[in-house]
Amino acid sequence: MTQANEIQMEQLGAVTLLDIRGDITILSESFLNDAYEDANNQGAGKILLKFQEDAYINSGGISVLIQLLAKTEQNAQQIGIIGLSDHFTKIFNMVGITKFAKIYKTREDALEAMS
Amino acid sequence: MNQILDDQTIEINLPSKVGYERVAMASAAALARLGGLAPERVEDLKSAVAEACINAMQHGNNWRPEARVVVHMDVSADRFIVSVTDQGDGVPEVPKYPGIEKIIEEKVSPRGLGVFMIQQLVDKVNFNQTADGGHTMTMEIRSTK
Amino acid sequence: MSAKKQMVRRINNHAVEVSLPSKLGYERIAMDCSASFAKMAGFTPQRIEDLKTAVAEACLNAIEHGNKNHPDTRVLVTMNFKDDRFSVSVKDGGNGISRLPRDRTVMRRIENLEPPKGLGIYLIKQLMDEVEFNKMTKDGHSVKMVIKLKN
Repeated sequence: MTQANEIQMEQLGAVTLLDIRGDITILSESFLNDAYEDANNQGAGKILLKFQEDAYINSGGISVLIQLLAKTEQNAQQIGIIGLSDHFTKIFNMVGITKFAKIYKTREDALEAMS
Repeated sequence: MNQILDDQTIEINLPSKVGYERVAMASAAALARLGGLAPERVEDLKSAVAEACINAMQHGNNWRPEARVVVHMDVSADRFIVSVTDQGDGVPEVPKYPGIEKIIEEKVSPRGLGVFMIQQLVDKVNFNQTADGGHTMTMEIRSTK
Repeated sequence: MSAKKQMVRRINNHAVEVSLPSKLGYERIAMDCSASFAKMAGFTPQRIEDLKTAVAEACLNAIEHGNKNHPDTRVLVTMNFKDDRFSVSVKDGGNGISRLPRDRTVMRRIENLEPPKGLGIYLIKQLMDEVEFNKMTKDGHSVKMVIKLKN
């Protein structure tokens, strides 16, 4: 029973999109970190994280995201988030992710705000 | 745990392995739908059950795969009650979530997120020790908050 | 024997057990539970639908049988995934939590049912890779179904 996240990187003007497929759990750590390193090495200043709306996200995955935000904070990068269900938007707010990343309803909203 | 179950109660018995909380989640959602719990609360319930199971596996059972997690669930039109029991030998108390600023700015290690989430999502939470050294977390979700 | 010791002894593998009231509608819980487990194991959505149907039919049989004899009995569903085989056993005729095997003795007394008739059984046989019907005790029956992961 393995879990892998497929993450595709796309450049949208000044914004680097990371399209993250699959569930977000503690097992996502290596995938997310690798994808971030790639983006970072390419000098990404604005990163948009896209999640699958029906993804299963648990506390382990949220921990991984928080650790990621610690790095982006250190590197003064701007982080946006799209693709979340209402339920997980609520949870991300609850745990305080929204203090370090902004959640947008649509890709267009995100790109408009971040570009 | 060797009691006769009430005729409405569902019991799920899981190994302490990563991912198996999803089986409890699916069962809780199915029971909630069957019992008529408000749809908005079903998502809250699913996350709470998953987190409680992970907590039991991680903190209660130390991820020993042969250690079991037992979930009992009961539903009525206005509320859903679920208890998650581990076999003990883990830490008696779950660390408290320090808040995201402490983790990001002060490099405090992330912990207690699962229980923090549960406390936000459900209407009532209780922690108890069981007679044989395990722990039970009991959660209640009402249809109307 | 303490409850804890019994619990540890009872299930010494990675099985998942679900105990349900013997009531119509509750088969949905077994369906979603097995679907969730099978999804983790890597089965395709189509195979999972087959599994859900078979599990539902087995549970409905158990509920019917259980209700005929003892309305307050429970249905016990045991699932396991090992060596690319996903197995689901559905048993009726128990009370409360299934007692532990004494199983070894009970197992040796398995009698085969006459091949059960009915659409439900037909469906199960069509949909699953392996099916086994057993009469556990005077009041209990079990169905064991297996689907195999193909590459």
